Formats: sequence, C-alpha cells, structure tokens
Amino acid sequence: MVQIKKKKGRDAKIPDAGMSDIVFLLLLFFLVSTTIDVDTGIGLSLPEYIPPEEQVFVPLSKDRLAALNINENGDVLLDGKVIAIPQIQETLIPRIESKIDLPKNKKLVISVKTARKTNYNLYIQALDQIKGAYATVRKAYAQTHFGKKLYELDKEENKELKNKIPIIISIAEPERIK
Amino acid sequence: MKFEKKRSSVKQEIPTSSMPDIIFMLLLFFMVATTLKEVEVYVKYRLPEAKAIEKIENKRLISYIWVGKSGRIQLNDAIVQVGDIQDIMYKKRTELPNVIVSLRIDKGSDMGIVNDIQQALRKADARRINYSAMLKQ
Repeated sequence: MVQIKKKKGRDAKIPDAGMSDIVFLLLLFFLVSTTIDVDTGIGLSLPEYIPPEEQVFVPLSKDRLAALNINENGDVLLDGKVIAIPQIQETLIPRIESKIDLPKNKKLVISVKTARKTNYNLYIQALDQIKGAYATVRKAYAQTHFGKKLYELDKEENKELKNKIPIIISIAEPERIK
Repeated sequence: MKFEKKRSSVKQEIPTSSMPDIIFMLLLFFMVATTLKEVEVYVKYRLPEAKAIEKIENKRLISYIWVGKSGRIQLNDAIVQVGDIQDIMYKKRTELPNVIVSLRIDKGSDMGIVNDIQQALRKADARRINYSAMLKQ
C-alpha cells in the first residue's frame, strides 16, 4: 500500500507583493485611456435680438469700420477690395493698433457679413484671422506696457488691456429673404 | 579580529499589505472623477481648423449643437428642426443663465443654416457661442 504522505508545516499563502503592481497598471491604464477632450473653438458673443421694426440705424464713420464681406463664390472683400484670407490679419493689425489710445467709442469695429451660400469653413478662416490680429496686438501691448506675456497678466492689467483693445466683431444682420 | 554583522532583533519591514488598498482608492477616485458624458452623435461632421482658438473653461455650462454634412441639426441628444431651437434653448437658458453654446458645424456647411441657428439663439437670448474648431498644425 502506498502511503499518502501528509504534507505538514507548509505555508499556504498567496503572494500579494505583486498585487500593488497590478493595481498600479490598472491605474495607469485608466489614467492614459481617459482622454479628457478639451473643447476648443472661437468664442463670440452674439448681439441682442432686436425685432426689425425697432432697429435703429447707427451710422459709423468709415474710418472706424472694417467691413468684411464673404460672398458665395468664396471671394473675400475688405472694405470693398478683394483680399486673400491670409492677408486679413496683416491688414487689420495696423488699423487696430492706430486706435489703441482712442476713447472707447472710437475703437475699430469689424463687421463680418456672409451670404447664405457662403461656405462655413471660409467664415471660420476669416474669423480666425480677425481673432489672430487682435491676439497679436494684445500680445505686443502686454509686452511693451507690462513686460509680461498675455497669460501672466493679473486682473487689473487684463482689464486695462481689454479696455484698450476691445474685440468688437459685429455679425451683420442677415438679409431677409425676399 | 573577527567582524560580525550586528543584527537587530527587531523586525525591519514596512507593512505593504495595505498598499493595494490605497492604490485601489486612487483608482476608484479616477474612475469616478472622470465623468464621461457620452452623447451619441447622430450626425457626421468634420470641424474646421483654426489657429486663434481658445479653451472653454467651464464644461458644465456648455450646450452642444451639431450640424452635419447633410444639414441635420442635433441639439444635445436629439435631432431637431431649426424652428425648435429657440424654445429648447430658451428653456435651457432659464435653468442655466450663462450657458455657452458650442457649435460643432461641419466645415462644408453653408452660412445660411449657421445664420438661422444664430438668429434662433439670439431670440432665445443664449448669446454666448463658441464655434468649435480644431487647432491647425
């Protein structure tokens, strides 16, 4: 008869030293795989809605207004002259800069007008150029007046900057369908 | 002379048995904190690209409007008509006064539909918008 040996005195332990490693791996997996998608885009505030019969026509001096018109063929006109989209920024920068020291009611107003058939991408490209122009001017102003980068400004300085160089983009009232 | 290592009779071990518990806590924290707000998007769209873009700071304030290639409009989680936007957004605005509307519009769309949506938003007085765009490399 075969004798069955009884194993005695052996430790029955599950090795748990590597447990934390496994959990670390899990943790890392979650950290890496949860891509928190950030919403990026071009921010804008729409004007208040005023019914057509109550609208008042406010005359703007030609010097103050930069009228950007994008027609349905994709032509971009700045103050009536055809312009290539990448040139909008360069053209606008000196105009914004020349108005830094003027009072609030004399700052540049950029009006963007589109036709119904205009491509949306073109409109975004144009808006991007305008925003880019303002960002460039603001950056230069922050550098020369405060000696700081834009994101280093404190609240007061930011306020001054926004007062000096306000972004006024007017989305033209769409033409009524006849 | 013979050197002998001194050995202390006290056990020198850092107790690591509760280490996984701590890390589990961390893991759970991360799993709970990353709220994945999954909205099923029913429209196909490709965002335009731009350079001068900014981040939307407060994600809780955002409402989304998608406009797909085919011109279909989705507001938050349902397909809607242009005419419905005003009412829905007005209700939304009474709940959340400073709502930001993120417009995720296909880059091939016409401005006509964009203008219609903007007019609806103006009438609903939800005037903070953001044209969603990708960073141009």
